[in-house]
Amino acid sequence: MRPENYEAQRQPPSNEYELNFGPNHPGIEGNYALKVKLHGDVVIEANADGGYLHRGFEKLMEQRLWIQNIALVPRICVPDPSPMELCYSMAVEQLCGLVVPKRAQWIRVLQLELSRIAAHLFTFGGHAATTGMYSTMYWGVTDRDLLLDLFEEFTGGRVYSIYNIPGGVRRELPPGFLQRVTETLDYIESRLPDYDNLFFKNQVFVRRAKGVGVMTREQALAWGVTGPNLRATGLAFDVRRDDPYQVYDQLEFEIPTEESGDAWARTLVRRHELMESIRILRQVIDALPDIHGSIRAPIPNPLAWNVPAGETYTRVESSKGELCYYVVSDGGPKPYRVHVRGPSSMHAVQVLEKLAIGSRIEDIAQTMFSLDACPPEVDR
Amino acid sequence: MSQEIAHWLDNLLEEIEGIEIRRKSSRRVRVDVPADALPALLELLQGRAGYIHLSAISCVDWIDDEEFELVYHVWSYENHSLVSAHIRIAREPGVYLSVYDLYQPAAFFERDIHEMYGIHFEGSPNMGKFILTEWDGPPPMRKEFDSEAYINEHLSWQEYNPPWLQALIAEGGGVVIPPEEQRFSRKKS
Repeated sequence: MRPENYEAQRQPPSNEYELNFGPNHPGIEGNYALKVKLHGDVVIEANADGGYLHRGFEKLMEQRLWIQNIALVPRICVPDPSPMELCYSMAVEQLCGLVVPKRAQWIRVLQLELSRIAAHLFTFGGHAATTGMYSTMYWGVTDRDLLLDLFEEFTGGRVYSIYNIPGGVRRELPPGFLQRVTETLDYIESRLPDYDNLFFKNQVFVRRAKGVGVMTREQALAWGVTGPNLRATGLAFDVRRDDPYQVYDQLEFEIPTEESGDAWARTLVRRHELMESIRILRQVIDALPDIHGSIRAPIPNPLAWNVPAGETYTRVESSKGELCYYVVSDGGPKPYRVHVRGPSSMHAVQVLEKLAIGSRIEDIAQTMFSLDACPPEVDR
Repeated sequence: MSQEIAHWLDNLLEEIEGIEIRRKSSRRVRVDVPADALPALLELLQGRAGYIHLSAISCVDWIDDEEFELVYHVWSYENHSLVSAHIRIAREPGVYLSVYDLYQPAAFFERDIHEMYGIHFEGSPNMGKFILTEWDGPPPMRKEFDSEAYINEHLSWQEYNPPWLQALIAEGGGVVIPPEEQRFSRKKS
């Protein structure tokens, strides 16, 4: 990072040259770099370079109380923070044997799916911007803001809601909230045909994205790819259905897939997923008024909370793929170890490095955004 | 995971010597093996039981036991179950074998663990620095590394005493608690 470390290197005359793609580049998500070697404008070697966002969350969590970490975890992935809270809370609940009340579980699904829609809209916006379609970016960010308004109303925070705590959720939903969620969902659904015309069916995007960053299902499985990126290769795997948590086993939803495994397929899978999230949310909105009871299991004094010794591995489907927490307690007031496995630790490093090779320089951004890589998850 | 598959898996795993199997829930299995039996176990799980997805490799530093615990979480898309294989290796010299030839995602996790804990994985494709490019101190995730002591030693705290706070304190208001007592995290258990 320091300028003195970047010495001009004398190279023998050739068509090959090196280029730093990032860490501050509009075609890259977050502060992250890809050091590429090019022949003409074709990438022949790519090395991911992280570390620009490292905040040492795993170490920090070992030094803070179980309850204090709730404020830390959402910051690990900025665009989609809610699954982080849930995954950590689930781990603590499993260690303590806490049973989360039904109503809290439904509210958690509401929060997760709202977060998924917000994250996908943000990704569409970013992805469209890499092809020069800035209108879609403005639309995506503006429509996401409507969801952030909802988050602000029911959690108090627009981006980092810090709403899930071990045992349940922090607050009851405000009066009339579900009606406002319905209105927002109706609006977003009514916007989707416009998005289709402007972005998904737009030949500028289709021609730029089709055939870019192609991976087969075998490659995806071998490289540890999960989430929409895996489903774009034709495998219908979703943690929500295949390793269900909370009340996902009581909800009806499809798992959209595509076959071609390229940037276009990955983006299309997300677009279909957004529809499925709306479908899930409508079921939650219908069910919630009839589910009464507490929103939180009783927990001990959080400032003197010794979680029983043990270890657990929890998994959640975030908007980017399989998100896991490995949490170890030694029976003390702070976690002994928290390991965060973000889906992007595969997508942004090994997968991106492999897919970039052979592509043209202008397609690197396409590949990265279509993988929906989230560098803070890698750096942690 | 159905009873039938669970039984079949148990029989299969019993081929490994010194194995201890614990079923934590219908989709979670904990397996403890001696460190030298892990490659054989993973080969068996991947080749014959369909556990083709390495979800993560986690490392835990048990400093009091002078050991590192490595946990390999593998998932089967067919059985819908996750096996966590636990091994312990000596803290010194902290060397183990790479499982990259079985699971390609291992390259990232091994590189990460090498950087954070200093464990060297023989046969891993890249043990170079990734996140801590310009860090030359000890591996920071080891338990003996105290980040707060490091900060106190190498950096200085900034004074924060803005006029509004001075005015508040002059009026006798505000919550003034010595910082040491404010920080619950500092209290020893």
